[in-house]
Amino acid sequence: MIWSRRRFLGASATMAGAGIVDFPGKHTSSITFQTHSQTDLAATPPIELIALNRMAYGPRPGDVARVRQMGFTAYVDEQLNPNDADDALCASKLTSARLRIQYDAGMGYPAVDEMRPLRTIIENWGLAQLWPLTKHPAYQERIRPVEEVRAATLIRAVYSKWQLREVLVEFWHNHFNVDAYSDTRISATWPLYDRDVIRRHCLGNFRNMVRDVAKSIAMGFYLDNAFSRDGPANENYARELFELHTLGQENYLNHLYNRWRDVPGALEGNPIGYIDQDVYEAARAFTGWTIAHGQTISGSLRLPDTGEFAYVDLWHDNAQKRVLAFEIDPNQPPLSDGETVIRLVSEHPGTARHICRKLCRRLLADDPPDSLVNRLARIWLENKDASNQIAITVRALLLSDEFASTFGRKVKRPFEVVVSFLRATNAEVTPNRDLFWQLQEMGYRMFNWGPPTGHPEESAAWLSTNGMLRRWNIINYLQSSWLKAATFDLPGQTPPGLTARQIVEFWVGRLLAVPPPTSTMNRLIDLMRQNGSADAPPTGSADEIADRIRSVVTLIAMTPEFQLR
Amino acid sequence: MTVSRRTFIVGCSAAIAAMTGSAVRGLAFAQPGDTTRRDILVVVFLRGGCDGLSLVAPVNDPFYKGARGELRVEESGQNAGLLLSNTIPGADFRLHPRATLLQSLYINRSLAIVHACGLRNGTRSHFEAMDYMEGGIPESGVPANGWLARYLNSINASGYLPAVAAGTRVPFSMVGFNDAAALTDPTSFNLSWNSWRYRSQLNQALDAFYSGDSPVQQAGRTTLTAIARINERLPRDSQGRVIPYTPETGVRYPGGRGASLGNALRTVASLIKMDIGLLAATVDYGGWDTHEGQRWIFPELVAGLAEGLYAFYNDLWRYHDRLTVVVMSEFGRRLKANRSGGTDHGHGNVMLVLGEGIRGGKMYGVWPGLATEQLDNGVDLAITTDYRAVLAEILIKRGALQTVDQVFPGFRGSLLGLAYSPGETIERPHRVNLPLVTR
Repeated sequence: MIWSRRRFLGASATMAGAGIVDFPGKHTSSITFQTHSQTDLAATPPIELIALNRMAYGPRPGDVARVRQMGFTAYVDEQLNPNDADDALCASKLTSARLRIQYDAGMGYPAVDEMRPLRTIIENWGLAQLWPLTKHPAYQERIRPVEEVRAATLIRAVYSKWQLREVLVEFWHNHFNVDAYSDTRISATWPLYDRDVIRRHCLGNFRNMVRDVAKSIAMGFYLDNAFSRDGPANENYARELFELHTLGQENYLNHLYNRWRDVPGALEGNPIGYIDQDVYEAARAFTGWTIAHGQTISGSLRLPDTGEFAYVDLWHDNAQKRVLAFEIDPNQPPLSDGETVIRLVSEHPGTARHICRKLCRRLLADDPPDSLVNRLARIWLENKDASNQIAITVRALLLSDEFASTFGRKVKRPFEVVVSFLRATNAEVTPNRDLFWQLQEMGYRMFNWGPPTGHPEESAAWLSTNGMLRRWNIINYLQSSWLKAATFDLPGQTPPGLTARQIVEFWVGRLLAVPPPTSTMNRLIDLMRQNGSADAPPTGSADEIADRIRSVVTLIAMTPEFQLR
Repeated sequence: MTVSRRTFIVGCSAAIAAMTGSAVRGLAFAQPGDTTRRDILVVVFLRGGCDGLSLVAPVNDPFYKGARGELRVEESGQNAGLLLSNTIPGADFRLHPRATLLQSLYINRSLAIVHACGLRNGTRSHFEAMDYMEGGIPESGVPANGWLARYLNSINASGYLPAVAAGTRVPFSMVGFNDAAALTDPTSFNLSWNSWRYRSQLNQALDAFYSGDSPVQQAGRTTLTAIARINERLPRDSQGRVIPYTPETGVRYPGGRGASLGNALRTVASLIKMDIGLLAATVDYGGWDTHEGQRWIFPELVAGLAEGLYAFYNDLWRYHDRLTVVVMSEFGRRLKANRSGGTDHGHGNVMLVLGEGIRGGKMYGVWPGLATEQLDNGVDLAITTDYRAVLAEILIKRGALQTVDQVFPGFRGSLLGLAYSPGETIERPHRVNLPLVTR
């Protein structure tokens, strides 16, 4: 597992002053992938640990033994078929959770300060219950639903048995990124986007997922398509549909071609990529797709104020269009133009490669081998009509040689740092706003990422000085007396009678997938033993020993090894 | 000495700075790594594609008026643009009405405007355009490192804390400079151990863990170095407590839409005043992707930009002889407004350059016109000045760059003459009669 700084950051220490610039590739390809090298094999932990660190948010106590016993393939198949009825611990944590809501009195509403259950989650609130919240005079009530989803997301990440689903939900939320705090119509209805769009399709069929995203309240307002109408159309959604949701930037060929017919393959009906002309035409196809929020259509004719998806023919551009060299005739039935575009972009081979590479970059490494990406893309396309297209593709990824033979090629994002620490230490989670504020300061803004890209995937993006300092400090903050987002009993979980060395080994085993260097072990043991022997139980007052155990655990979570998965 | 707002704006000649300098604690310019003859370069990036046609608007252009409708800046009336002198031929260029404080800086000759400027690559993708622009070599795709990183490497920038991104992460322009630090607040940039008892042992262990050469370890070491250096320089009271940063009297960084910019600029100002050897800083200001509701959002963003730059420049009046600020964005916006009250992704745009070493109060560039055949692809403001012409000139004349090729290999554009070379006499009156600025 050798990565040089140069590879990693695409850095340039050697070129200082030389006036030489070399271009190994895009800066986003950070960690060079090497399979089956000797260093890899030496550093590759057992498959259970690889799995629990990459298709889960790290192991909780007992997880490793369970996966080992059932077998990796069986674990993958279990995880691909989540069953909410079989998730009692998580369900009870969701039910018992309380998230504070506090605001002062205002015009026509009283002050509130209470610990409130996650009602929108545990009672499965629908549009009829959520939409009225968009009118609530208190801002805290208008954003309450997204705050509840954030709390539930943390609880599920820590406690849910269905870890792969949680990992993929995070993936798709970032893929179809929406800043829920950008518009209170989005924040108030966020449980619908989370539950009925992202969670519903996270292992399902991609085309259906794109369709439901396109019709969602969240995306409609976030990328403005709810306001788009004929003459000139609003291009925001159409552009990101191509660039981010489907074909991806690597298939955007506008710097090479100005006319659709110049794109290779276009005259045969199979253009290899897209250009601005496709974006313009697609934007026209989606005119009239909107969310009913009481807006005037014409004269006294208004859409109802319900938050339902609506199609307004009067705002639709009915003329013929050409998207990805496919000709759409004029005057098609309602929604047909947009649905055709969704089919074209969802089923494009460029989309298959883009999504499969992105899945690999989430679950495997920043720079996955093309051979694997292409193999997965074939599976993706072969199953384009399958109701479990995504599950089939993810299964092939998880069962690939590459998945089993690599480790530590991803830097944990802040959310993963926090959740994997909470899981390894068997902490009791009590979500609060301060924790999400801390995550934000670390650069992780859950459901609040402004640009439509979602959070950066590449490891280097998470290694700034700010990011490093805060990933060290958050381990301390979580255990501090002021953050109150979790409670720990580290001394209590330490088996009695262990020597100083064994205590360190116990906690290293809980937290790290690969053993750290001997020098690190010695530092940890020195901290644990102080003036005593490494091979005797630690001496000192109970308070001192507890302080040392907490310090050792803290320090393990601050090692370079804990930052990787 | 009392510093009125007036002297803030105008009191920026080298003579005045030198006079006051002796009385100001910590104004020793000779720093580790000798930064004496280089300007501190601050790059403000307007993320999302700022509408340059509204920021510096060709208010009387018939194509502009026709295509923009209610979204345009007008010639007269309530939404009239602010007058600018020394503009380029082709139109009556006006600043956005909410940019009063930028107008003050322009009148003061501190601010220069370059129009019809940008990335010549035809992309209308935010993310691709930013990568190309911050990479700085768009002919060859996206390079491995950013243009600021190549600059800092080329001058062997080895100051105490040579490069800072005021935010949670380092933007691509600085990626590849190994000592680049990202931080949001220097006063709290420190480790927070829970254990008091074992603190020194914990510190030593952490140092040891991050002494290796893996990417994570190198990142950790850069961080530990930055923590040590910042904390060594932070002003402290007699009890050793960190003194919170206070801007110069009368300086107010913006809130509202401009709060993110204001906070980041405030951080940069505080670091500069710590004399920490800063040579380059980046600041991001997002929210400019105004596909919808531009009438309401854009004016607030502009007000934030103007207030932020004005506050920052005044806050650093003691440093005016070595400070240059560049404002850029990945692209401008479509000439023709869409039907949802916004503008879509465009091409040519405005760049702003601020500093005492800048021949300000003047517009630069060549106006291509807005008739359909004059537009890029028939829809967007064409680009007549490569954005690198502006950056290259600043790096050569105000920075310490030797040859343009070190940062922008292959770039062959000519410079605009907007910056003074070192040693050139800066033509600036000591006092200018400014319109009274009330806030």
